[in-house]
Amino acid sequence: MSTYPGAGPVIHDPMTLPSDDNVNNYTFCVELKGTQWFLQKGKMIAYYGSIDFNGIGHGRLDRLVRSSFHSPLHASDWVVAEGSGRMLLADRAFDVNSYDLEDGNLTIRSGNLLAFQPSLSLKQSIVPGFLTLIGTGKFVAASNGPVVFMEPPIRVDPQALVGWADCPSPCHHYDYGYMTGLMGGLRAMTGLGGASGEEHQFEFVGAGTVLLQSSEALMAEQATGTVPHQAGVPGSGGSTGGSPQAGAPRLPGQLGDLQRRFGL
Amino acid sequence: MFRLQGSKVLAVEMTGDAVKAKNGSMVAYDGQMAFKKLSGGGEGIRGMVTRRITGEQMTVMEVKGHGTCWFADRASEINLVGLQGDKLYVESSNLLATDGGLRTGTSFTGLRGASQGNGLFTTTVEGHGQAAITSDGPAVVLRVSAQYPLTVDPGAYIAHQGDLRQSFQSGVTFRTLMGEGGGEAFQIRFEGDGLVYVQPSERNTIAGDV
Repeated sequence: MSTYPGAGPVIHDPMTLPSDDNVNNYTFCVELKGTQWFLQKGKMIAYYGSIDFNGIGHGRLDRLVRSSFHSPLHASDWVVAEGSGRMLLADRAFDVNSYDLEDGNLTIRSGNLLAFQPSLSLKQSIVPGFLTLIGTGKFVAASNGPVVFMEPPIRVDPQALVGWADCPSPCHHYDYGYMTGLMGGLRAMTGLGGASGEEHQFEFVGAGTVLLQSSEALMAEQATGTVPHQAGVPGSGGSTGGSPQAGAPRLPGQLGDLQRRFGL
Repeated sequence: MFRLQGSKVLAVEMTGDAVKAKNGSMVAYDGQMAFKKLSGGGEGIRGMVTRRITGEQMTVMEVKGHGTCWFADRASEINLVGLQGDKLYVESSNLLATDGGLRTGTSFTGLRGASQGNGLFTTTVEGHGQAAITSDGPAVVLRVSAQYPLTVDPGAYIAHQGDLRQSFQSGVTFRTLMGEGGGEAFQIRFEGDGLVYVQPSERNTIAGDV
């Protein structure tokens, strides 16, 4: 075996690559020993050994999908890696980290989740665009800049939120000025009269952990469709039992339908 | 003498010798430097014509002088590669600088290039000396040996060196057409003995969305 002095600081081969750990801040190595991992499409950058990638919906994977994948909307973005060898995962040179869940639950922005062990089960969060992992196992997530862990009660910027664990789902928080009549709405939309850009936050309360990234650059959101039209399902566009014009777009400062305000 | 200052700036100390670098990549220098654009990458008329035909164009300048010259390219990470008579294959867009004594050329890559959207040809660097290649995020250097062949996603591949054979694998099946593909429809398999450089990010490729 020839040597290549000066060829970068570290040369990896299957013996020196870590098993289920980071190679550097931006690359994660997964070891497969006849086991399976779910991973998001296109996040594998290289592998040693023999590994098969099969889309969710591949007949043979039926049982696995039944037990650990419960999000039809995201099925086309995920594949199952199966075989033996070591595989490197990375995403747009974003920071990559692995997390262990022990009989827990964690909700994460769908674009940030790279891979997870089938011992966890994936479900769609009731909050649109987020996924929830439940169970025990390891998963890998990407973030723009290192992840910061915070404890509720806390209000966070929507773009910096990566996910949350063990605490109740967040609610929207609007600053007072945002809500006061027409001027508040105009100010929020145009920035005239001084909008700080931070009038809208997500608020977390209760016990748990909130994961933040140290930048406000988001992963590209992928259109994954919507949840089925059904009364009572948030984000489905289904009827909520209100007035027929309830879906009309509204200025952020507006308080609601006129009819409703006058009790008509 | 090539030296990294941080991970995104290349410092080259020169004592009258020359380096070839990507046009416009100089960010600072001290001492006396002369910059000269090399038409056709300093590969002569034949190389120039080849590059024009193969679409593997690169605009290269020659920097010569005494002192230190710093190079950088769009804040991408820089990796140093030492060459001892072997050949480095790298995409022309990822090549930042080479020692003046290294020969550059073009070579046919076959289907891998096509799947990357980079054309059918790649740049080669040959000789004794150092080269600097850029990557989106720090590159991971992976060794390929007889018992450990390596498979790489074309979008993450940036360079390889040594005695490697590459073959193109396509996993396109009827499932891919039905939108149930494995997501890794195109792969390059490296066999032999050498090093492969991959970046923790994927360029947009035809294969990227398959």
